[in-house]
Formats: sequence, structure tokens, C-alpha cells
Amino acid sequence: MKKTCVWLLMALGLGGCASEVTRHPVNLSRARRPPDKSFVASQTVMVRLDSGYDRSIRAGTEFVDAGGIAQGDILKPTNATFTVEGAHMHEAYLVVNTGRIVGFYLPVEKSFSPLATSVALPLEIKEFRK
Amino acid sequence: MNVNRLCVSLLLPLVLASCATGPKLSEMRSSIPTLSTEQGRIYFYRSGSAFGAAVQPSILLNGTVVGESKPGGFFFVDQAAGNKEVSTSTEVEKKLSFTLDPGQTRYVRTVIGLGLFVGRVYPELVDEATGQKELEEASYIGPPLKQGVKAEAKAQ
Repeated sequence: MKKTCVWLLMALGLGGCASEVTRHPVNLSRARRPPDKSFVASQTVMVRLDSGYDRSIRAGTEFVDAGGIAQGDILKPTNATFTVEGAHMHEAYLVVNTGRIVGFYLPVEKSFSPLATSVALPLEIKEFRK
Repeated sequence: MNVNRLCVSLLLPLVLASCATGPKLSEMRSSIPTLSTEQGRIYFYRSGSAFGAAVQPSILLNGTVVGESKPGGFFFVDQAAGNKEVSTSTEVEKKLSFTLDPGQTRYVRTVIGLGLFVGRVYPELVDEATGQKELEEASYIGPPLKQGVKAEAKAQ
């Protein structure tokens, strides 16, 4: 019983001290392209953040180009909201390079938060009617 | 009276009194002002769960108190577009940062989590579909709106 209490208190204590999201300041290497097409996730993808939190990108989630950084293209979701979470929570856009999510762009902090392991993201292109 | 009954009889009124009372979103839609083109709107809300109901911290937007996190309550603020940071005044501060575009509406849900000594309330950004759906269950706890929200609610 005593051990259970200690474990419970430790878990609660550690839960209140999550590590800060790893991020590096970045500059846009290219501006956003004219919004002539969007990208749609063709299947649900699970992402394990380096902070230990899980995120899912549901099939049907739509993205538009939001520029580029050295690590890849920035895709901003239009029908969903993404955040990365550690000690704090930050709105995040995906950073995709050759069809894989390599990390997240934090628009408020203007920073790149890398993923330790990149994740494949199957996308379909949807052209906008002119 | 045994101890359990005593606890229930003491705690129940406390929990009930701490829940939000006010008009539902559907009852006050016509009173909600149209959003100006240069501004965005942020809805803040919390589910009606009785878990941690007594913990009702202030909600801060860019360091300024804009309201309270009350179980089952919601309110909104209109703000100039730009970067936003939301936090609550609980044991451990967990901030939420996001962008607000002109004409955009964002939804921030406050949720209760376990803290070391007391429950802590932290903000999370939710998508529009979830926010709109969950807001339907909540009651307005913001400042009175121009077209007499209270009178409208009483008439229901």
C-alpha cells in the first residue's frame, strides 16, 4: 500500500513536470505558394512526439502549403488543429520532406520541432477550380 | 447520519453551485455580435464534468485575465489577429500558443488534470467541428451582451 502511494505521488509529480518541446528557431526558405491546390491525408497516421505524447492525423485532413524551411515543406491544416505538447502546448503545422513528416513548424514561435523518427504521410493532391 | 451521507450532502450543493448557469449557445445566437473583419474570435469553454468542479481558475490571454474556467461554462473574446498565448492560474502553468487570423474563430477547451496537491486546469486548442459541438452543451458565463441575453434565457 505504501509503495503504491509512493508510485502514485511520483507519477503525479513527474506528470506535472513534462519536458519542454524541443525546437529550433528557423526562417522561411520560401514563401507560401498561391493557394491553387490542397493536400489531403489519404489514411490516418499516428505520430509519437519526442515528448511522449501521441497525435493522430486523421484520413481526410486537408492541408495547404504554408511555405518552406530548410527541413521541408510546411503544410497547414485547414479542417483540423494540431498541437505539439510538452511542458506547454503549441499550435503546429506539419513539415514534410519527400512524403514523410520530419517535424513540426510552430507558427507562433517561428521554430522547427523535429521528430526523432520521421513518419510516412500519404497525401492526395486536390486541385482548386479556377 | 453516517459519514458517507454527510460527505455527499455537504459536497453535492458545492459541486452543483460551482457549475455554470446561463443561456445555451442556441438560445443566444442572435445576441452574439458579428465579428469585425480585422479581428478574430476565441471561444473558451469547459465540459460540465463534476470532476475537479471546485477548481475554477482565471483564464489569461496574453497575460490578461479574460474570464474563468467554470464547469459547463463558455464565453468568447474578440481580439486583433496575431499570436495568442493562453494560460490558467493553477498550480502548474501550462501555456497554449496559437495564431489567430482575421475573421477566424478558434476554440479553446480548458480541461482538468491531476496535480500533485490539487487539480490543475490547462487549455487545449480544439478544431472547429469539436468546438462547435461541445459548445452546444455549455452555458454562457461571459459579460452580458447587448441584446439582453438574460431576458432571452428567462423566456425559454
